[in-house]
Amino acid sequence: MTSIFLPYLYTGGVHKHGLILELLEDLGGYIIQKVVTGTEVNLIMLIPEKDVHLVKELSKELLGVLLEAPLTGVEIAVVSPTLASHHLPHSACDVAEYLRHPGANTNMIGLARGMGRRVSLSMDYERKLINEHDIAVFTFGSFSDCIINKKPKLFEGIEIPIVVTGGPELKTEDVPGADIYVGGIGRVSHRLRKKEETDALDNLNEGVAKVVDRVRKQLAKDQLAVLPARVMKEIEDQIPEINRVLSPAPITMQLNGLRVKLPYDEYHERFENLEFDEGVVLSELANISRSKMKNYILIKIKSKSDVGFAI
Amino acid sequence: MDALETFIVESAIDSETAFYRQIIEDNLSSLKLGPAIGRIKVVLRPEDSLFQMAIILRDIGSKVTTLDMADVEARTGASHEVVISIKKERYIPELLKKLWDRHGKANIRQPDRWTVAVDSDNPQEEAEFIEKMIVADPRRTLHEDLVDFAIRATPEGFRVRYHLFKGKRFVFVASEEAMKKEWIEEAGAMLDELLTGGKTK
Repeated sequence: MTSIFLPYLYTGGVHKHGLILELLEDLGGYIIQKVVTGTEVNLIMLIPEKDVHLVKELSKELLGVLLEAPLTGVEIAVVSPTLASHHLPHSACDVAEYLRHPGANTNMIGLARGMGRRVSLSMDYERKLINEHDIAVFTFGSFSDCIINKKPKLFEGIEIPIVVTGGPELKTEDVPGADIYVGGIGRVSHRLRKKEETDALDNLNEGVAKVVDRVRKQLAKDQLAVLPARVMKEIEDQIPEINRVLSPAPITMQLNGLRVKLPYDEYHERFENLEFDEGVVLSELANISRSKMKNYILIKIKSKSDVGFAI
Repeated sequence: MDALETFIVESAIDSETAFYRQIIEDNLSSLKLGPAIGRIKVVLRPEDSLFQMAIILRDIGSKVTTLDMADVEARTGASHEVVISIKKERYIPELLKKLWDRHGKANIRQPDRWTVAVDSDNPQEEAEFIEKMIVADPRRTLHEDLVDFAIRATPEGFRVRYHLFKGKRFVFVASEEAMKKEWIEEAGAMLDELLTGGKTK
């Protein structure tokens, strides 16, 4: 029997936050990420749908806040044409930062030769790296002519959903290859904090949440052989070295897999032999490969129809 | 001429003009170029991959020597040194950099905010040299800043560039395609328009 999990973000004091962790363990939920900053703690977690009210009550008692975090367990690639000062830190970093508010993990990718109209192009390596993510957010500039006619060639070979941001207000259908277009976030050289700018970022988050919803629904039609959150928990229990990794989000959840920030050559066999209570090992349920990002391990979970069963 | 008394950005689509105006304003302020620029006109033609900019500068300061910013005195009493008493604090970083390069950090003391002392075997001669030393050249830094500004403001892919800096006039043309002569001429015409079109004192 599988239960439905809902993503939530708890923000509160460090004092007694262990009670939340204990409750979540009793309920069979999962902690995705725990960030302690000074006296504050942020917990991103998956709570079984029918028990959400219990966690809500407890967080109220602890004077914390429990918010829905629709992008939890989603790894997003924020792709900017290059890493030059024209695009960074504004607006690409602002976009990435805003996407993290509702729980997403973001990676910034600057293409080597993504700038320009006629000359822009992406490399095979870059496309493969982007395809390792759940969603790609392309941050484009201020000219509608470029966004409509020239830049979409960067989408070639991208197999994941594509969200596009740009300055002018365009319709999504005008931008070939884009799943959603969000206007009002073009090339800027200042931090996005005016009302219309943050509104545009809110629109972006809503748009991305819609796309995530669609992907989740597709995945539900042929469910995954094992929940990524469960794999995460097993990794934490069986491979303790993960606790010594200093990278942010050592295990990054994706909609259909995980990225583990441990070197592939040393650890991949242990991951392949990761055992579940049901008696199966991870290599039966997932493809484990070398990630294009550094030397990390990428786990993509197979669907139930591929494996023949789900745990 | 007042600072930024003319500031024109032209493009076929109004909303894009507004975006670009903002980008140019942001870059001007981050490079602190606002006070140096009198009039500026930018024309954008994305369909031709073309960016043209013409700028008329305000009066540019002349070269600054040590004597312009400080009093220099040679001392040959108990210690042999040149004492520089600062009058204009603004150019201290440049002055110190030059002195460090010439004498080494070990020979330079700063007993207080307004004084720099340089140890020297021959203070008299050294003082004469330091007095005439050029500390800062606003024109040169302005040139660097202007080019930096032009590159920052241009769309990144426009890597074929032309620029001209003569007197108070600055022209910049950038494109992705091979540079055409008429584009440069158009930018020159923009500059002429600025010269005659703007308010004059």
